[in-house]
Amino acid sequence: MKTRSITLCVNGRDYTFEVPHNRTLLQALRDDLKLTDTKYGCGSGECGGCTVLINGKDNINSCLTLAAEMEGKHITTVGGLTKNGQLHPIQQAFVELGAIQCGFCTPGMVMKTASLLAHNPNPSEDDIRRGLEGNICRCTGYENIIRAVQKASQMINASATQCAGGACS
Amino acid sequence: MSDLTYVGKNIPKVDAKEKVTGQAIYAGDLQFPDTLFGKIVRCWEHAHAKVTHLDLSEAAKVPGVVKVLGPKDVTQKLYNCGVLDLLASEEVGHMLGEIEDQRIFTDYVRHQGDAICGIIAETQEIAEAAAAKVIVKYEPLPVYLQPEESAKPDAIQFDARKPGNKAFQLPEQMFPNNVYGWGDVDAEMAKAELIIENTFQLPKVKQCQIEPHAYVALFDQRGRLSIWTSTQMPKLVQNKLARLFEMPLSKLNLIPTTIGGGFGGKLGMIFEPETCAMALAVPGRHVKVQSLREEDWVASESRHPGKYWLKIGFLKDGTPVAADALFTADTGAYFTHATGVPFTTGAWLIGMYKYGAVRYKTNAYYTNKAPSGAFRGYGNPQTNFVLEQTVDQACRQLGIDPVEWRKRWHKQVGDDGWCLGIPYASSSLTECLERGAAKIGWAEKRAKYANQSGPKRRGVGVSVMNHTSGAMPMLLEHTVAKVKMNEDGSAVINVACSDVGAGSHTALTQIAAETLGIPMEDIYIDNNMDSAGFDVGSHASRTAYVGGGAVMKACEDVNRQLIERASTRLGIPVDQLEIKNRQVVSKDGKASMSVKEICNVGVSNYINPANGERNGVPGQIQGYASHFPSHNSPPFGACFAEVEIDIETGQTKVVEMVIAHDIGRAIHPPSVHGQLAGGAQQALGMTLTEEIRYDEKGLIQNNSFFDYKLFGPLDMPKLTTILVENPDPGAPYGLKSVGEAGTVNPVGAVANAVSHALGIMFTEAPITPERILKAVNERGIK
Amino acid sequence: MSSHMSSRGLPEFELLIPRTSPEAMDMLAQHRDQLSILNGGTALWNYVRGRNRVTPYVLSLSALKGLDYINEIPGDGLRIGAKATIAQLIEHPAVSAKYAALHESGYWFGNPTVRNMATVMGNVLRASPSADCSCALLALGCQVILQNKSGQRAVDIDDFWLSYDVTARKPDELAVEIRIPEPKATTRSAFQRLTRVRQDLAKLNVAVRLEMDKGVCQQARIAIGCVGPTTMRVKKTEALLQGKAINDSLLEQLATSVRGEISPIDDQRSTALYRQQVAGVIVKRTISRAAADKGATQ
Ligand SMILES: Cc1cc2nc3c(=O)[nH]c(=O)nc-3n(C[C@H](O)[C@H](O)[C@H](O)COP(=O)(O)OP(=O)(O)OC[C@H]3O[C@@H](n4cnc5c(N)ncnc54)[C@H](O)[C@@H]3O)c2cc1C
Ligand code: FES
Ligand code: FES
Repeated sequence: MKTRSITLCVNGRDYTFEVPHNRTLLQALRDDLKLTDTKYGCGSGECGGCTVLINGKDNINSCLTLAAEMEGKHITTVGGLTKNGQLHPIQQAFVELGAIQCGFCTPGMVMKTASLLAHNPNPSEDDIRRGLEGNICRCTGYENIIRAVQKASQMINASATQCAGGACS
Repeated sequence: MSDLTYVGKNIPKVDAKEKVTGQAIYAGDLQFPDTLFGKIVRCWEHAHAKVTHLDLSEAAKVPGVVKVLGPKDVTQKLYNCGVLDLLASEEVGHMLGEIEDQRIFTDYVRHQGDAICGIIAETQEIAEAAAAKVIVKYEPLPVYLQPEESAKPDAIQFDARKPGNKAFQLPEQMFPNNVYGWGDVDAEMAKAELIIENTFQLPKVKQCQIEPHAYVALFDQRGRLSIWTSTQMPKLVQNKLARLFEMPLSKLNLIPTTIGGGFGGKLGMIFEPETCAMALAVPGRHVKVQSLREEDWVASESRHPGKYWLKIGFLKDGTPVAADALFTADTGAYFTHATGVPFTTGAWLIGMYKYGAVRYKTNAYYTNKAPSGAFRGYGNPQTNFVLEQTVDQACRQLGIDPVEWRKRWHKQVGDDGWCLGIPYASSSLTECLERGAAKIGWAEKRAKYANQSGPKRRGVGVSVMNHTSGAMPMLLEHTVAKVKMNEDGSAVINVACSDVGAGSHTALTQIAAETLGIPMEDIYIDNNMDSAGFDVGSHASRTAYVGGGAVMKACEDVNRQLIERASTRLGIPVDQLEIKNRQVVSKDGKASMSVKEICNVGVSNYINPANGERNGVPGQIQGYASHFPSHNSPPFGACFAEVEIDIETGQTKVVEMVIAHDIGRAIHPPSVHGQLAGGAQQALGMTLTEEIRYDEKGLIQNNSFFDYKLFGPLDMPKLTTILVENPDPGAPYGLKSVGEAGTVNPVGAVANAVSHALGIMFTEAPITPERILKAVNERGIK
Repeated sequence: MSSHMSSRGLPEFELLIPRTSPEAMDMLAQHRDQLSILNGGTALWNYVRGRNRVTPYVLSLSALKGLDYINEIPGDGLRIGAKATIAQLIEHPAVSAKYAALHESGYWFGNPTVRNMATVMGNVLRASPSADCSCALLALGCQVILQNKSGQRAVDIDDFWLSYDVTARKPDELAVEIRIPEPKATTRSAFQRLTRVRQDLAKLNVAVRLEMDKGVCQQARIAIGCVGPTTMRVKKTEALLQGKAINDSLLEQLATSVRGEISPIDDQRSTALYRQQVAGVIVKRTISRAAADKGATQ
């Protein structure tokens, strides 16, 4: 199997490593870099468990992306939102509003929220529902997640940083 | 009750932070040095076949393959991956008959996805490449997808011990003539002035926990077999594995990981047997087995589908004189839960209303579908679809308001519950109905939607349910809790109770904090299975109830010891002492000793060199409870749903839903709301979109989220959850269960709303646009 | 979805990542049908996983610059570059203002994550009868620009899909641009689809373009998906509209006509019977909405 050497910047840290050409970004994160905070739920773009941010803003499904195509890109996973042990406002809101049950969809949901709020800092409830589509949660019925996103948007707007995505520090 | 400090409070869950940062470790996240990867090779092309030839030699040659395992290379012992046999008393267990019919690797394929052999390799990719090199030849057999087909006399017999492919009916010794119920149904039915009789078809629905099954196992040099698994039932799975591999429990080290959802999908053994068998073949190396979503779909259990015939006779005033039911369950390829679900499906029917007489019969048959098993609600969503629609049909024909009928005829305190002979100790169902009806605007909407025209039709429906808190008295209920008081006064609670995500560890911590009077931050739940005593595991909505009872008792045991020790030290009789604000104080308020000091003194028990006296009573304080609850506090609930149906396309939108739940006391209110909302998502799926479908060869057609659709955020209705809190007298802090209940009520409420909108009752779920449009056209509704 | 025992990883292939267009053309010329083109990957990888097979080479467009544009050229129309995503499409003001059907097809498409990755071009090249943007593009009319080493050619969208999964693209060609003619001030268009839940592929989709003149339809294009091997036009039904005022009785006629022109099948998302019955309803609704000039993204 042919391999390529690539450099990925994940959560602000550069990783240079060899990947087989057919390696997905999800496999590279989980199996090569051992960053297991991004989850495999379906491998086909339908559950959203593998959602990560590209260049701090745009969410993609890492299971449908080749690692080799991500050369030089900044990737943020849920672990990268936490700075010095300090929860990101989105994470804080998810904790406070009981938006987490089994937690398996949570990393993807949080990244999706980060992307949503980066593009639309004041979403309506409908914007939030539309913004979270593609991420399946089998536990919460989405109710508490939606309330958490509302709360997160308020928290971010009230804070000085005004930064929803993961790229700003 | 506002005198509680931790119970009932809206606090963050104990595990929320590790989950929200991605630090929680699920089984698939585990990383060990020197790990091997296991791949279970499954039969993908047949649902019923004999393996005539298995050649592993090419697979074995793939570089990086460490071992290939065929059926003969692993234990040949039969097992039942379910756990009910460990929970039934000996005499009941005896009545169930032969229920072990599964093998780790098989040469007789009974459903698509049956495991044929295993590959162990240095990487996941190598294991998968080698799997593709396994050569299997099959002799296909006729495929039976319905009990009517497999029950035919000339059908191939799946199991010589089960003639007619009948896996189960109610045991004769306990339920003569396969009947559960009371009274003379035929005589009562003869009095009926209205009879509603229908046969309903129930779908095969998947749990769809978002974490696919994954495991790591290691057989170490000391002869211990370790298995890391996200099972819902750590203790029972540990027991099952110990039996299967004939090892003492002390050698079977089960390490529970964070659970990415279960809903019954991780109840009992799933792919633990295959994983352990692989680890046993490569001593000293970790073996990781991660299933694919598609694999999870074809090879693991789902909800029991089947035909449910129900006939209820009524008097004109609404009196339900008799109910007569037969549930023909499709247990799928293996026995699994063929006893439990068919039984409880009837129990929920029996537990609901005050029929004059009732007769429930059930038969479970094998088919070539994936095994049916445990799925949140355990037969109750099926009954809800059938019973609640039947009641509404009667109300319609009798001109009785469905809410009023339910208020009049649901079982009350003192009536026999779902288990005959055990009366209900509490019920707030009437209050649930009243508050829910007010919230949704029942009376106005019922009237408003009575006559409609145009392409969009609205309807509003109601449904009620009963459920259980634990499986007592049908099955064993037992949890052991140990509370170790650290020398600084903080506490570690050692239990085997799992947290499937429902928040049970949070609830247990709250109960402990409340009972011990110490802050939640000072309490840690330890889930080590070597040290933890017995627990049934997460099923039957039992963990907060039974586990909570055990933790409460163990904490009370700690409190007793604290007071005894303070009594010795202070020289004050125990009945003059109480615990307040982390102090043991005398009731006159004059003497006190801090809990921390008592704990510390017990540990650092120095002898005074001057006089040789001990510094108090030696020994670390540990509370212990081996708790067998004497009650089963019944939760009830009422659900209201409003739908809008486009009669030209059959598309249904659930506009609004109100769920009122009789919770006794909500230990952790956000979790209770979350259970109801999350349960609604599953129930709505079962009612409107979800069904596993098979082609004529018995292959699953929709083994992905592309083809099997779950409700997303935009599909969910506006949702209000109402917690009705009237503490149950026999429960810890008055709590009743909620977990399983969540998936039940919206099923009937939505179905009834659909029939209110269209005047058509649907006997087949899911109620898809295709089915609606067909019915609308047949009735000429315009 | 997969009818074989699948694996977690993708099957093996050699990935080519050209940095320039000539480089890409050379690779296409060299490997021809031994090569798959990878754009957003949202369709390709599921296609590959579903079959557990892939061509020996995969050519990624990721490093090619300047293909992710959506340009409005006044007097000419809209040009969509090969790498423009669905997310770009729905944010583009000219698309929502003048190409309603296309905007709506993007609005209802997939989910935010997939819209960030998926391209309009990939939608057309996948040649699937359920593709949403493709349906809108067929109704609007457009040309697909194909390029190989020796130059470019334009293929009309009406001639582009030959059958399920087969297009007019030759193995050495890259699809580089979609050109949609500029609508007149009186052109109206709309798109609608039916799905099982919100996030789903269509069980039926319909797009229409009407040339209106004072309430009278001068010309119509009606595209329907999921009712045959490719997204198709219903030309007899289109002809019925010509020169007619749009009223209830005409709409009924159209609905009946549509049913006669399609031959859907049963699949995981719906049944032949249902599609047959509902196609007329959705065509009616889409036409009346287009004629009334009402958007449908709210
Ligand atoms: C979760 C999910 C939801 C989806 N929802 C929808 C939906 O609602 N509606 C819908 O229509 N589709 C949907 N899709 C399917 C898919 O996203 C679309 O078809 C998408 O437009 C494909 O674009 P892409 O860029 O990802 O294509 P790719 O996957 O990269 O390619 C698709 C095909 O086009 C070829 N191709 C791409 N670009 C070129 C080019 N420039 N020249 C030549 N050939 C090319 C590829 O070789 C391949 O055969 C969904 C997919 C997923 C995973
Ligand atoms: S794992 Fe990528 S979307 Fe499910
Ligand atoms: S919290 Fe379990 S899937 Fe969302």
